[in-house]
Amino acid sequence: MMEHIAHALMILGGFFAFSGSLGILRMPDFYSRLHPAGTADTLGQLLVFTGLALKIIAVSIADEVPVDGLSIGKLVAISLLLFVTTPTSTHAISRAAHLRGVKPWTGEKEREDADE
Amino acid sequence: MNSAELITALLILAGAFLALIRAVKGPTVFDRVLAVNVFGTKTVILLALLGYIGNRSGFLDIAILYALVNFLGTVALLRFVESRRFFQ
Amino acid sequence: MSDPVLLINVILLVIAVVAAIAAMWTRDLLGAVMLMGIYSLLLAVEWANLFAMDVSYTEAAVGAGAATILLLTALTRTGTREKAGPNFHPTALLTVIVTGALLIYGTADMPRFGDPQAPATVNVAPEYIAQNVGKVDAGEDGPENDFGDHVPNAVTAVLASYRGYDTMFETAVIFTAGVCVILILRPLSPSARRETAQSQEGA
Repeated sequence: MMEHIAHALMILGGFFAFSGSLGILRMPDFYSRLHPAGTADTLGQLLVFTGLALKIIAVSIADEVPVDGLSIGKLVAISLLLFVTTPTSTHAISRAAHLRGVKPWTGEKEREDADE
Repeated sequence: MNSAELITALLILAGAFLALIRAVKGPTVFDRVLAVNVFGTKTVILLALLGYIGNRSGFLDIAILYALVNFLGTVALLRFVESRRFFQ
Repeated sequence: MSDPVLLINVILLVIAVVAAIAAMWTRDLLGAVMLMGIYSLLLAVEWANLFAMDVSYTEAAVGAGAATILLLTALTRTGTREKAGPNFHPTALLTVIVTGALLIYGTADMPRFGDPQAPATVNVAPEYIAQNVGKVDAGEDGPENDFGDHVPNAVTAVLASYRGYDTMFETAVIFTAGVCVILILRPLSPSARRETAQSQEGA
């Protein structure tokens, strides 16, 4: 049972991570691209790491061996770290862009992807 | 047995590829910084998954290192882009 | 493709090749620097997959972190667009193809991964191990011991005793690289700064 929950959480997390990237690719301008990067990725990594930790616990219980606490601690540490740093770096990027004068997209006549 | 982890890893790889396309397309330097940052997050998740799939030890330590390097690198890059003039 | 790690490896390498080609193709040098950062991250995962954890650490810290910042610092001195002109250099392509072909030809002679009969494991390694592993005190009739009976760990002993010169000249290489970086990135004199500003406005 626990293993199935872990699988479901992992795949859901993978889906969120993927949809976050899709948002980064498809959104019309820079500031809207920050949104999927900051939110979807944070949720995605949280779900994947929770799933992995649950899976490790479930496998240990099934095999009747002691749970590998160190691995779970590391997973929790990475997850917490990303939970703090991903939104922070997204905020830092948007702040830098604002300070450098990147204009938000208002839906009027600016041509998108004007590079090259 | 490991199919769920494999599916997740493939989803994350696909997401990483999309972030790569955004890094190629730009158009502003901040888009690229964002794409690299997202790519780094994906790498951390992928490393943890790979460590579990391949039953390797030490991958989680590398994942922690990457999470730190990614954050520090992004912030350093931004301090840099903020303070110097670039023609973008 | 029954092995999931192999499958992911192949995909990682394909994405790394795509990132490298994109970094060469783009004319925006800032974009190229970011793409090289992505390429480094991918390679670092690949190194970890090949059990080269130390290389992986280095690749992540240097390739994705320090090198990006260094290249950006260099870009502030030069400008961020590649010069217009032909992107195709036949001589360079020929050199790369010949070198690559030679390297791939060389892999044919390499021993299998983990082969106990590989030259690296039959030549001097048994000697080191005989001298060393678990023999803090080899005693009177023990083999000639280069480690002075001090180091129980084989890897540490080989690194410290036999790779000392290697490490010393690695340090020399890193010192040279550091001097070069300082020379390139040192603060410009006022006249040089004016010159740079003029050439960038002209470009």
